[in-house]
Amino acid sequence: MVGKVDAAKGGAKSLQSPASNQATSKPDLSSMSTAFSFKNLKLKTKQQELLIRVSILGLVYILAFITRLFSVLRYESMIHEFDPYFNYRTTLYLTEKGFYEFWNWFDSESWYPLGRIIGGTLYPGLMVTAAIIYWTLKFLRFAVHIREVCVLTAPFFASNTTIVAYFFGKELWDSGAGLVAAALIAICPGYISRSVAGSYDNEGVAIFALLLTFYLFVKAVNTGSLAWSLASAFGYFYMVSAWGGYVFIINLIPLYVLVLLITGRYSMRLYVAYNCMYIVGMLLAMQIRFVGFQHVQSGEHMAAMGVFFLIQVFYFLVYVKHMLNDKKLFQALLRIGVTSAVGVAAIALGVGTASGYISPWTGRFYSLLDPTYAKDHIPIIASVSEHQPTAWSSFMFDFHILLFLFPAGLYFCFKRLSDATIFIVMYGLTSMYFAGVMVRLILVATPAVCLISAIAVSATIKNLTQAIRGKNTQTMSSKGTNSSKGLSKQQASLDQTIPYLKNGATALLLGAFYLLSRYAIHCTWVTSEAYSSPSIVLAARGAHGQRIIFDDYREAYFWLRQNTPSDAKIMSWWDYGYQITAMGNRTVIVDNNTWNNTHIATVGRAMSSYEDEAYEIMRSLDVDYVLVVFGGVTGYSSDDINKFLWMVRIGGGVFPVIKEPDYLVNGEYRVDKGAAPKMLNCLMYKLCYYRFGELTTEYGKPPGYDRARGVEIGNKDVKLEYLEEAFTTSNWIVRIYKVKPPSNRW
Amino acid sequence: MGRSPTTKDDAQALFQSLRSAYAATPTNLKIIDLYVVFAVSTAVIQVVYMAIVGSFPFNSFLSGVLSCVGTAVLAVCLRIQVNKENKEFKDLPPERAFADFVLCNLVLHLVIMNFLG
Amino acid sequence: MTAEEWEDFRKGHPKAASLKTVPLPFPELCATLFDGNAATGNPSQCLKLQHSAVIRIQTSRTLEEPKEDNMAKFSIATVFIASISLLLTLTHSFSLENPTDRRILVLVDDLALKSSHSIFFSSLQARGFELDFKLSDDPKIALQRYGQHLYDGLILFSPSTERFGGSLDVAAILDFVDSGKDLIVAADANASDLIRNIAAECGIDFDEDPSAVVIDHGSYAVSETEGDHTLIAADDFIQSDVLLGSTKIEAPVLFKGIGHSLNPANSLVLKVLSGSPSAYSANPKSKLSSPPSLSGSSISLVSVVQARNNARIVFSGSLDLFSNKFFKSTVQKAGSSHKFAKSGNQQFATEISKWVFHERGHLKAVNVRHHRVGETDEPAIYRINDDLEYLVEIYEWSGSNWEPYVANDVQVQFYMMSPYVLKTMSNNKKGLYLASFKVPDVYGVFQFKVEYQRLGYTSLSLAKQIPVRPFRHNEYERFIPTAFPYYGASFSTMAGFLIFSFVYLYSK
Repeated sequence: MVGKVDAAKGGAKSLQSPASNQATSKPDLSSMSTAFSFKNLKLKTKQQELLIRVSILGLVYILAFITRLFSVLRYESMIHEFDPYFNYRTTLYLTEKGFYEFWNWFDSESWYPLGRIIGGTLYPGLMVTAAIIYWTLKFLRFAVHIREVCVLTAPFFASNTTIVAYFFGKELWDSGAGLVAAALIAICPGYISRSVAGSYDNEGVAIFALLLTFYLFVKAVNTGSLAWSLASAFGYFYMVSAWGGYVFIINLIPLYVLVLLITGRYSMRLYVAYNCMYIVGMLLAMQIRFVGFQHVQSGEHMAAMGVFFLIQVFYFLVYVKHMLNDKKLFQALLRIGVTSAVGVAAIALGVGTASGYISPWTGRFYSLLDPTYAKDHIPIIASVSEHQPTAWSSFMFDFHILLFLFPAGLYFCFKRLSDATIFIVMYGLTSMYFAGVMVRLILVATPAVCLISAIAVSATIKNLTQAIRGKNTQTMSSKGTNSSKGLSKQQASLDQTIPYLKNGATALLLGAFYLLSRYAIHCTWVTSEAYSSPSIVLAARGAHGQRIIFDDYREAYFWLRQNTPSDAKIMSWWDYGYQITAMGNRTVIVDNNTWNNTHIATVGRAMSSYEDEAYEIMRSLDVDYVLVVFGGVTGYSSDDINKFLWMVRIGGGVFPVIKEPDYLVNGEYRVDKGAAPKMLNCLMYKLCYYRFGELTTEYGKPPGYDRARGVEIGNKDVKLEYLEEAFTTSNWIVRIYKVKPPSNRW
Repeated sequence: MGRSPTTKDDAQALFQSLRSAYAATPTNLKIIDLYVVFAVSTAVIQVVYMAIVGSFPFNSFLSGVLSCVGTAVLAVCLRIQVNKENKEFKDLPPERAFADFVLCNLVLHLVIMNFLG
Repeated sequence: MTAEEWEDFRKGHPKAASLKTVPLPFPELCATLFDGNAATGNPSQCLKLQHSAVIRIQTSRTLEEPKEDNMAKFSIATVFIASISLLLTLTHSFSLENPTDRRILVLVDDLALKSSHSIFFSSLQARGFELDFKLSDDPKIALQRYGQHLYDGLILFSPSTERFGGSLDVAAILDFVDSGKDLIVAADANASDLIRNIAAECGIDFDEDPSAVVIDHGSYAVSETEGDHTLIAADDFIQSDVLLGSTKIEAPVLFKGIGHSLNPANSLVLKVLSGSPSAYSANPKSKLSSPPSLSGSSISLVSVVQARNNARIVFSGSLDLFSNKFFKSTVQKAGSSHKFAKSGNQQFATEISKWVFHERGHLKAVNVRHHRVGETDEPAIYRINDDLEYLVEIYEWSGSNWEPYVANDVQVQFYMMSPYVLKTMSNNKKGLYLASFKVPDVYGVFQFKVEYQRLGYTSLSLAKQIPVRPFRHNEYERFIPTAFPYYGASFSTMAGFLIFSFVYLYSK
């Protein structure tokens, strides 16, 4: 199974032949081929194995880091996408002003005029981590810019994740599985998508924290040690400080405990691990201002509390049972105890919910349990592409062969059921379900899938190699003989005298290596082609195959920074809020922290109203400039016109004057001549297509041909009365308009 | 239905047998039990107090109650680990268990101090 | 420079007087500056030279800034600039501080108007205005040169001009107004489309019928001949001391000309002199075939507009209103037995011109500041529930100097989407207005807003943005009495832990 790691590595680098991989796959057992460089050193087998393990882990560590540097190679060392810009801005503030200023930061530049309490509405883990790295480097006299630290934080933590994955795999199965897991997770696209260099987002750190917490918890359950449990509580604290996804932990662990209780696998170790972890973890988590009292008030956290009480009751019962040694008496006690416990719990929950003390579940949580909930009730959640249900293709894209190895791994886990494997099975199954509900949660499922697949790969290869060498030893471990996936049928019917056993095993082994190398190729390809785009700089292929870079976003933001008054307020759709504040250094009305639906709806309403109505709204919000993103010239499809229906829906959700059917023709969304009249005259349409009618975008097409939607626009003669064009970037992707002051003489 | 008398009888018999069984517990476990009872009763008093005066300094209330609950739970964990009857923890020396216990308590009380004000 | 010339110059530039008495700070520099001009001693040339100096300063500044390292080279120039700018502040500062217009361009159809309306013009000149008469089709008319406006005000006494000479057109006039300059427009029967367009852009619609004039069979001016009642004796003034002065205009104003209505969409335009209920607008020569489009008191005879940038405009439907003939004529309103020896026209025209050229009703707000109670520095951010004071000084221009403005209706708003605090400010009779209030328990980006709009006065619109933050983590109440049991419990468990540890360790 160590050879597998090399296979992955070889794939990532230059793809050696499978044969040579196979050659290096034996050393952990035979120590023959690896001993070539250590021949004179005469290391003992154990030491050799340790050395190989450490060096492989080191290589995986480096590999995980460098495979994420494609984005720096392809573009430059820059922060990607939307949210990372906010994180970068806050980190900058943290390093400049210190922790207490950061903790109490009231940001008046976003959500004008409401402002935002930054310190109380973010998960500070990422920023503090980056700042600590930065300060450490500074202390060591490494003069680096904080941006470089931010860019490389995610790859660095991805590398750390591989180490955790190794130990987790070791805890679950054996060290071989750990190594495979480390190698798989190092290059798994599902994880890389959120942790390439520059993707400075909470998830980059959070997956590390998530896996660490789970590992430490499993370790605590296995040992029953308070110290491991405490460590897991700290892991949980770090996770809470880093990402809102900690809710997954605080629900999965109680669920796991509950399952163990029900299946009768309750143990004292479990009691120690869970209680210490829950109490200390909860207390630590409450120190994060954004989380605050949610652990005792919100519905999402009630499961953990319920299980906490349940396990106390359970412990008490077991204790009493142990003391009594009398079946009948115990029955009586059970009756009294269970009735009263259930009654008290029900009353407490009922009172709590009725008095509003325990808040009901949030929309995001509902949408997890019921995938159609968000679509019907909360357009703001549904509007984000990350929150869409996952398509099969993206599963395939992100997991590749792991998708097939996953069930095999589950099979192995059920074969050798223990507390730890039950945990990983539950983690795998629940996270797979969530990944199916929301694209974004593929990320959470990735470590579980990698671990379970690693078990499958490791167990299979181990069995195969044993089968090959089985002729000599003959005393195969019983576990080894009957749990090999490929051979179990043959072995069931025949004993060690199968004629083609050895050849078959070799063939299967080669097949497995072929698959794994395909996986490595796929991962490298996906990383370099799909997941390394910063999305703030766009790249396209020109007519002659050359790369064309569209740097319009930054052009526009720097224009804002240089040419507008420093207290100018910019209105745009919320997607661009973080970028405008971070790069343009200007106040925005709404941004990606979607905490105030009404405010966003107001902007949506302004965008979907006629110009004069929109002008009133913009005046009331003191808007100075309006920024729209338009892809009609370049064919950039995720522009504001394509997002426009969401603006209408979100605006209409709060202001019923905005009705979605007004913008559709027979339920169809169009911008050409057949479009709805309201569509052709709303502010967004006017701002996007202002002067567009004069422009010929493609040879052989009439002027005003929208390349993103492939139609000729319907309103070519756009006249603006209350706004004037201030700036349009070179490829027309960002257009900025100035809101005129009220007429002087009217 | 005559169920309540049986329940009552059961309860009485239960307590008697429990008391006799408890007498056999080693002293160090009894100390822990006393400690647990102290912590739990403090927690209960605080909950009652909160029910009377309202939950305004909620963080103080939480830290007060959780410090008691945490102490109690940790003490129970310690009890489990040092109890010689528990086969699961045969490998774990009581010294190590106590060290873990002290460590957890230190962390707990530091956090409580931070959360109290 | 003769004494009279100096006197003339001094009239136009009150503060220049000090120039003559105050010794110049850089005599040798000024000597070189004025060298050559001193001989002729022509003040206008001297001014021109200063203007060119301004341009030179500007150019040398732009040169200087990017080349900071060349400071040594420029040090002489800097001294030069400093002295010049000092000189400029001495001579030109009044144009910043003094809101009253100085240079006024008068465009007329016919230079004869200069004598037929001489009383009005000379009253302006007597008040210190420089009038520059030009024929409206003079090809050399220009309102600005090199981006600088040449005039502070414009009087259009050319109702029949279809096209202005030079570069002047409707857009140029509106641009003139939009840059804060003032305008008097007098129309007449048969007003040209040009004048109508200017008026329409300001929210005033003259009667569209080109031959229509205002006729009033109820309150016409009694004259010897019966006439067609187009000479109206109007006395329906707006009630405003600011617009029309504090002395009441007793005699009716003679009006002969075209009526107009106000565009209801425009909230800035005001009727100063409106028609009586019996007035209507029609062609007096022909019979009325249909009801007149304008009638009754909705007819405005004279209207004013104060634009948002405080540019002031007067529209009069009658040019004759300003004429010597009307100024001097007696007036008797139909139906009234009292005959005034002199019409109200002169008083009306003088007062309205005082208003329009900012001799009256001009406010300024200075020294806007705010701070926490008990402090003097202006903070960059407030905290919720802070007590603060907001101060502003408001002065009114009396025509010659700034005097404290005293009113009890100046209000300040603490505004975020809607006013959270609305408070009338108290004043100390010396122009200082003060309001103290508590910041509401809401965080966000607030604005101090003073929106002071009183009839006739320049509107004051002050907005100052200030963020309000919530409590910091260490600003909350620390030791709450009700929480003492919890503190006690926490500390008792800590103590319990220590005791327990000892007992447990030593019990064996």
